[in-house]
Amino acid sequence: MLVVKCPVCGAEGDETDFHAGGQAHIRRPATHDPAHVTDEEQRNYLFIRINPKGLHFERWRCDRGCGKWFHAARDTVTMEFKAFYGITELPPKDVIAQAKGQWAEYFAKRLEAEKQA
Amino acid sequence: MSELSYESPLAGVNAPTGLSVSIREITERGMIDLRGLTSDAAFMAAVKGVLGVDLPVKPRTSVAWGDVKVLWLSTDQWLILSSRAKAHELLASLREALKGIHSLVVDVSDMRAVIRLEGEGCREVIMKGTSLDLLDPEYVQGCCRRMRYAEIAALLDVVEDTVFDIYVFRSYAHYTWNFLCATAKAPAKLKLFGKQDVPA
Repeated sequence: MLVVKCPVCGAEGDETDFHAGGQAHIRRPATHDPAHVTDEEQRNYLFIRINPKGLHFERWRCDRGCGKWFHAARDTVTMEFKAFYGITELPPKDVIAQAKGQWAEYFAKRLEAEKQA
Repeated sequence: MSELSYESPLAGVNAPTGLSVSIREITERGMIDLRGLTSDAAFMAAVKGVLGVDLPVKPRTSVAWGDVKVLWLSTDQWLILSSRAKAHELLASLREALKGIHSLVVDVSDMRAVIRLEGEGCREVIMKGTSLDLLDPEYVQGCCRRMRYAEIAALLDVVEDTVFDIYVFRSYAHYTWNFLCATAKAPAKLKLFGKQDVPA
């Protein structure tokens, strides 16, 4: 059983009180630059997902609580939650540092973009 | 044209005998759904001006003021309880006070059915259908929360230590009623406090 804690209202419960919403941090290309969406970008947005063994980042909804969406970092091997954080936020720095493979690449890019902005 | 008349969701349904707690439907309850941002001082002040009381901002709490009670549903959503007649007045004055402020006020009196459980052992009866630990000190008078009850969405309001209101969507009223009547049968009573009976 997974024990989930909502970072918005603080409600804690097993996963039946919550709703898993798939991979986190997916960016819809048309929202940011509707005039220049390539087929590849649209395909990646719709179908291509990261499926790591180990640390993963997901969206969850506090279904039987405050009804808000939030993010969670979970280890897919041990099922242990590493962090819960807001829907507009990035994971805590120490959790980002543990990310491997595609997630590490993603966060490196994202942090770089935020620095430039 | 035929006259419109109010009928409660569980009209004509009677509680069976031999239950360990008292179960009845609360009828004639007015409910108003209110949404707005707590960060908006104008919104909070306008609502306080109408209700006479600050909206509860602490998660899973409720406040009562006279015959009006406000339940916290989410960080930007509240359910205002009153009598049905009073709900019409409140709706009009809230709409007036919130003119031009980013918010939403809707009369949802017919949306939910309200079932009241009363008596010692209410917590144990409700816990047969939910994963919540109602023995936790959080669940005292003035606490309310949404929950998963008997696989459906429900709202729990702790009215008093041994009085609980369960709000479910109207179409689930009979299902919830039957579930409660089955789980509240006296022979099925659980004793989570104190010594358990040893089977003979």
